[in-house]
Amino acid sequence: MKGVTDLDYISLILGYIILIIPFYILWYYKTGLVKDAFIAFIRMTIQLLLVGFYLEFIFELNSSILNLTWVFVMTILATYTVINRSELKIKEFFLPIFIAIVLSVLIIDAYFLGIVIKLNNLFDARYLIPITGMLLGNSIKTIIIALNTYYKQLKKEKELYKWYLANGATRQEALVPFKKEALKSAFNPVIANVAIVGLISLPGMMTGQILGGSSPTVAVKYQIMLMIMVFSSSIFSVFLSIYFADKKVFDSFDNLKKIGKTK
Amino acid sequence: MVTPLISVNNISISYDKNEVVKNLSFQLSKGDKAVITGESGKGKSSILNALAGFVPISNGNIFFSNIELLPKYIGEIRSNIAWLPQETALHFDSVKEIIYSLFSLHKNKPDTPSKAEIHQLLNQLNISPVLLDKEIDEISGGQKQRILLAGALLLKKEVLIIDEPTSDLDEKNKKLITDFILTQKELTVIAVSHDAYWIENSSKNIAL
Repeated sequence: MKGVTDLDYISLILGYIILIIPFYILWYYKTGLVKDAFIAFIRMTIQLLLVGFYLEFIFELNSSILNLTWVFVMTILATYTVINRSELKIKEFFLPIFIAIVLSVLIIDAYFLGIVIKLNNLFDARYLIPITGMLLGNSIKTIIIALNTYYKQLKKEKELYKWYLANGATRQEALVPFKKEALKSAFNPVIANVAIVGLISLPGMMTGQILGGSSPTVAVKYQIMLMIMVFSSSIFSVFLSIYFADKKVFDSFDNLKKIGKTK
Repeated sequence: MVTPLISVNNISISYDKNEVVKNLSFQLSKGDKAVITGESGKGKSSILNALAGFVPISNGNIFFSNIELLPKYIGEIRSNIAWLPQETALHFDSVKEIIYSLFSLHKNKPDTPSKAEIHQLLNQLNISPVLLDKEIDEISGGQKQRILLAGALLLKKEVLIIDEPTSDLDEKNKKLITDFILTQKELTVIAVSHDAYWIENSSKNIAL
């Protein structure tokens, strides 16, 4: 296996130079996106550099407690992102969604690292942190879509929910069609994506691993496992988020409370 | 004195400090056919919603027989009523779903009607059972209304709470459906209606 060619600063600058062309196109068509794009790339650069430094440090220390703390910090950030993007109230939704994400990520981490890869130290930074990051990044997208669909449908089809309830359904039964819609809207695109992997798209992790010097067969095996874990943790976290949030969003007569942000 | 089947005592309903129903009381006995009448915005639908626990009452109380409408009894109360909002408010994928989703519920499962029973009732409501195999957008609003009604009646509950039951029907079907429902001896009906024939044939008018 040969090591990867490191990028020196001149190479990095050369890399940035290519941006002139897309920025020029955005500017020429007066899209108003140049400033946003510029800020986005600066942010991306700073965030990744900081994470790079931080990960170097955390990898070197490799303390289980520090690694777990970092996982919790990532989960808190993920929870905030989900709640903000779903326009829900932080106060009511933080705990249920946080618990849902923590549980699903920890279960999948433990299964993947402990049973599949059989690591001696489950909290090894080199595995725990990037894999948790991948699980969280993918779960966030699906939870946001699922929660948005779920509450939007519950408001839009309120009469259908009431029709079930008032004709003898338990709350769980009356919610089944809404959970079904939420799962469908969140996981249809994910399943489509799983089905085309390798044909049209090469996943980032696998590409990174190959560039990092791994043999393609090893990279592929990791990628397969990772896609299964990402899919499972996303479904768990969607299911648990809705399950825990349900305990907060209905009144004692099973009516949906006002849940959006008051603006 | 016999306990009334439904007893509404001095209830008020408000939305954001705007009181739409004030100190309303009425009693219904088994078999009564009540209709709530009044102009738009007078809170007619709100009363139906309050009866099923979907809208909070700000004072007074509601009893079904001797069970008070409280959170701990709401499941029991809801399993003794059949509820039908205006047809346009409900969306389904298929026609069959309207009937069968009601009987997929745990509480209603033991009462699942036979195919023959369903077909017989549909025929009585002037609906061809063939329609059950159609997609929802292949039937008219009036047909959907009667199929929803068939579902509600097949549940064989004591009380039918129904909003504008004949709004989408032509004159002939309006008369047929009104006569059919209002002559079900055992059934207690509480409806909101603007229809003169329905109002005329109801046994009790709660005018707001």
